[in-house]
Amino acid sequence: MQGGSSGIGYGLKYQARCISDVKADKDHTSFLTGTLSLKEENEVHLLRLSSGGSELLCEGLFSHPNEIWDLASCPFDQRIFSTVFSTGDSFGAAVWQIPEPYGQSNSSTLECVASLDAHVGKINCVLWCPSGKSDKLISMDEQNLVLWSLDSSKQSAEVLYKESAGMRHSLSGGAWNPHDLNSVAATSESSIQFWDLRTMKKVNSIERAHVRNVNYNLKREHILVSADDESGIHIWDLRKAKVPVQELPGHTHWTWAVRCNPEYEELILSVGTDSAVNLWFASASSEKKTSESLVEASRLRVNPLLNSYTDYEDSVYGLAWSSREPWIFASLSYDGRVVIESVKPFLPRR
Amino acid sequence: MATEAAPMDEKAKRMRDLLSSFYAPDPSISTSGSSISASFDNINSTSFDADQYMDLMIKKSNLEVLLQRHVQMAAEIKNLDTDLQMLVYENYNKFISATDTIKRMKSNIFGMEGNMDQLLQKIMSVQSRSDGVNTSLFEKREHIEKLHRTRNLLRKVQFIYDLPARLQKCIKSETYGDAVRFYIGAMPILKVYGDTSFQDCRRASEEAIEIIIKNLQTKLFSDSESIQARAEAAVLLKQLDVPVDSLKDKLLEKLEQSLDGLQIKPEEASLLAEHNDSSNDAESNEQLPAKIHEDAVRGFSEAMRAYREIFPDSEERLFKLARALTAMHFENMELYIRKRVSAADFLRIFRIIWEDVVLMDEVLPEAELSDLSAEAAQVTVKKFVARTFSHLQQDISDTILKFDINQREAVEEEVLKVVLEASKKAGIQGTTDIFQDFRQLLDENIGIFVKMKDLIIGWIQNGFQDFFRSLEAQFLVLSGKTSSSKDIEGGLVEGKSSDKIHAGLILVLAQLSVFVEQKVIPRVSEEIAASFSGGNSQAFENGPAFIPGELCRVFHAASEKLLQHYIDTRTQKISVLLRKRFKTPNWVKHKEPREVHMYVDMFLHELEEVGKEVKQVLPQGTFRKHKRTDSNGSNTTTSSRSNTLHNDKMTRSNSQRARSQLFETHLAKLFKQKVEIFTKVEFTQESVVTTTVKLCLKSLQEYVRLQTFNRSGFQQIQLDIQFLKAPLKETVEDEAAIDFLLDEVIVAASERCLDVIPLEPPILDKLIQAKLAKSKEHNNNNNTVSS
Repeated sequence: MQGGSSGIGYGLKYQARCISDVKADKDHTSFLTGTLSLKEENEVHLLRLSSGGSELLCEGLFSHPNEIWDLASCPFDQRIFSTVFSTGDSFGAAVWQIPEPYGQSNSSTLECVASLDAHVGKINCVLWCPSGKSDKLISMDEQNLVLWSLDSSKQSAEVLYKESAGMRHSLSGGAWNPHDLNSVAATSESSIQFWDLRTMKKVNSIERAHVRNVNYNLKREHILVSADDESGIHIWDLRKAKVPVQELPGHTHWTWAVRCNPEYEELILSVGTDSAVNLWFASASSEKKTSESLVEASRLRVNPLLNSYTDYEDSVYGLAWSSREPWIFASLSYDGRVVIESVKPFLPRR
Repeated sequence: MATEAAPMDEKAKRMRDLLSSFYAPDPSISTSGSSISASFDNINSTSFDADQYMDLMIKKSNLEVLLQRHVQMAAEIKNLDTDLQMLVYENYNKFISATDTIKRMKSNIFGMEGNMDQLLQKIMSVQSRSDGVNTSLFEKREHIEKLHRTRNLLRKVQFIYDLPARLQKCIKSETYGDAVRFYIGAMPILKVYGDTSFQDCRRASEEAIEIIIKNLQTKLFSDSESIQARAEAAVLLKQLDVPVDSLKDKLLEKLEQSLDGLQIKPEEASLLAEHNDSSNDAESNEQLPAKIHEDAVRGFSEAMRAYREIFPDSEERLFKLARALTAMHFENMELYIRKRVSAADFLRIFRIIWEDVVLMDEVLPEAELSDLSAEAAQVTVKKFVARTFSHLQQDISDTILKFDINQREAVEEEVLKVVLEASKKAGIQGTTDIFQDFRQLLDENIGIFVKMKDLIIGWIQNGFQDFFRSLEAQFLVLSGKTSSSKDIEGGLVEGKSSDKIHAGLILVLAQLSVFVEQKVIPRVSEEIAASFSGGNSQAFENGPAFIPGELCRVFHAASEKLLQHYIDTRTQKISVLLRKRFKTPNWVKHKEPREVHMYVDMFLHELEEVGKEVKQVLPQGTFRKHKRTDSNGSNTTTSSRSNTLHNDKMTRSNSQRARSQLFETHLAKLFKQKVEIFTKVEFTQESVVTTTVKLCLKSLQEYVRLQTFNRSGFQQIQLDIQFLKAPLKETVEDEAAIDFLLDEVIVAASERCLDVIPLEPPILDKLIQAKLAKSKEHNNNNNTVSS
């Protein structure tokens, strides 16, 4: 593994927004990424970090019919992933399967497992159930939340529930709680909403305008991280959701996405439209400390920003930690450049 | 032997030995010393053996020596003989004289017996005579004694009959002491016979005594009487078995009640202070409150002195009273300084209190009033210092909030500037005043202040440190930027959402922070160094006192934070505008652009407002062109980028002219050095405006990127951006960056456009001119309306 700040790069042909860690691939550190080009033929790239960790290889190149706005890899089958795509005037979402001998490149076509075609508006994202075994899916458009049951053998997906969030709340994205599989957080224009999947009802919300992205801390229950356009990153304890546990300054311009490290609970990555990726150290352990010591700590606290990776030419939208090697992350800037970096030098000592 | 050394003693010694051996029963004791040393040749020893001695002599010595020895011995023997003879003679002589003496004694004793008998007879006769006299006088004496007793009794009866009259007389002449003495003297009799023979008499005298008691009580209670007299009265009352304790209680209660009158009530305190002030110059005879108060306290202490003498056992109670008064004074003082009080007034009141304490301390030195009051004074002064600081802080925040800058017109009236200047003045003036006040505290020469000097300095330094810290915190709270610590402390600040806080206020706060950092803190630290240094080390135990460096850092950070917050708030507002603009229409089905869209006006209006606010508050920076970064892109990342993007696009576009136009922008972008968009914000008008514009344009670009446009949609964006170009360049110092960002927006739009055909330049121009004309007309209309 290469140390230092220089990462491993890979260029996509077109502009791109989304990258996803292939969680089900236990043998390799792999990422899936898809291009966002209105007029060209879009591609899905399966990237694999070479065993030495010094090269990023294109393991598969598949053509995708439309520009890809969101992409998520299936947590239990490395060949399956979902995309949200746009044809220009309409949106669609589908689950795809990578064809069997996928070694050869040259844009082999993807097999469509299921089309998630219960939406009319702008689809935001598709979420896979984080348990890693369940075949549940959630797709979200601006007004609706749809829970799917996927049957990959029958090549079909079935709508289990469909619930409208109402016209007023235009949903923009979400995250599935890895600690409570019945709970999903959805970002809307004015708040973060929490939905209970059993009743398909909104159970809770955090009033916060313009949240662009949310992410659950995988290691610690009740901890949610949110990224705003203007006011940076907030860390919430869902049991005391009135005020954030901690605030991080975020980026100079919008903070686009945040991801908690799957292994090191204090590490948070964020990407922003100021062409930077920031690595934060957030020791937001609210339970352990009394409020006074926290005040004291906040006074004493050194800069929570561990490092800022700034070698990007354009806004960075895509971000994913590797679940196999949790000190590795992939970032994707709008100009189609994937950069793999290691945070090993910044890992907390244990 | 020492025969030669002491030949003279030899003889005497031998004599003594001989005599002692004669008298002593055990000759060995007395002669033991010599017998050891004298072996055979010692003729005096008991173990002397003559034959042996002779043998030895004959063996050892020649004839001549023997002869000599013989002669010597013969002489010694002769000597001994005469000595013995002398002894016998002397002893005999003594015996004869003893015999003579005995003979004389015997003759003297003879005839004594007869004299003795004679004496006995005479004594006997004397005794019988005296007995006779005794018996003859006995009866008379009995009689006399009886008469005497009767007379005494009569006198007593007379006394008792006279008692009421006498008591009345005493009452008249006010010699209560005598009266009480008489009454107590008659008491036992009255007690025994009071019910029978002396009934009337007793009643009368009791009545008289009642009057006396009453008189005594009034005397005791009357303040006009001398202490001596009152003390006497108390003693007399005590003698009369009147329950004095209840009296004492009553008196002390009265004293306690008078305490209320002595209080310096907070509401009166200012009056007191004022009048005290005026009494210094105006020599008027009218009773000034301070004077009255002083007299009252003097009276109180006098009373205490009196009671102490009258009731020595009531000291504890008096101590308690004095302490209570002191405590009350300081409590009232605390109440008093809860309101805003100048140091001078504070000191004046303090002085009065201190005088009171000194007065009382003189009377009751054991009450340890000075210790008590020293403690209380410390607390009070500390509170005063703390309160002064909080008042200052209140002043500053009041000044900031005084102006209602939420009014729309406020911006025109340069209210922000006024607020800033006022707050600056409040800050400077406040600290100056505070220093003056504290200097007064330090200059005060009441004993207790001298003692507390070090402590006060410590408090002041600490106070400043805390003051600046809390000021910074308050700035942050006022700005609505709820710091994380505040959030955790209870989330109370949550209610004050940032929407309600005027952005201009944040800017004022930011500039104020700079002012505090650059002007106020150095000034304060100078002042402290000049007149408040050298507080004692104990004061610093709980953390360091005044550290200007740290405070400067804090305020520096705060100012940057606030400025950033200002820009954030401003851009947020514009961002909302842009968001609405891009969310609402369906860009894929956009109609032909007819005119420059409304939102441009709003955007420019917002910017104008920012400009106005900034102009009022921030200093003008030195105008300079934007610096470009040295780092030309990034070479560290290995990139296998496919650079077909632009070429592809170009070959596919329909219109040749449009193609070339777009191509230019793309090429320009390619070859242009990476423009550093996000530079550090400085405290200048230009920097702030530029940063705001940059951020907004970047947002605009991002919003564009999220949409998909048809041809008309793209053209609309193109038109809007083209229109923005001129006014933005006017307001912003960094033209290159603005150019770059505007181009970026167009590029983004073209990338997200299904059918890129830019508007023809003439049409573009025409639309822009139309818009300009319209806005001019609008302005004119506005002007005419307003005028």
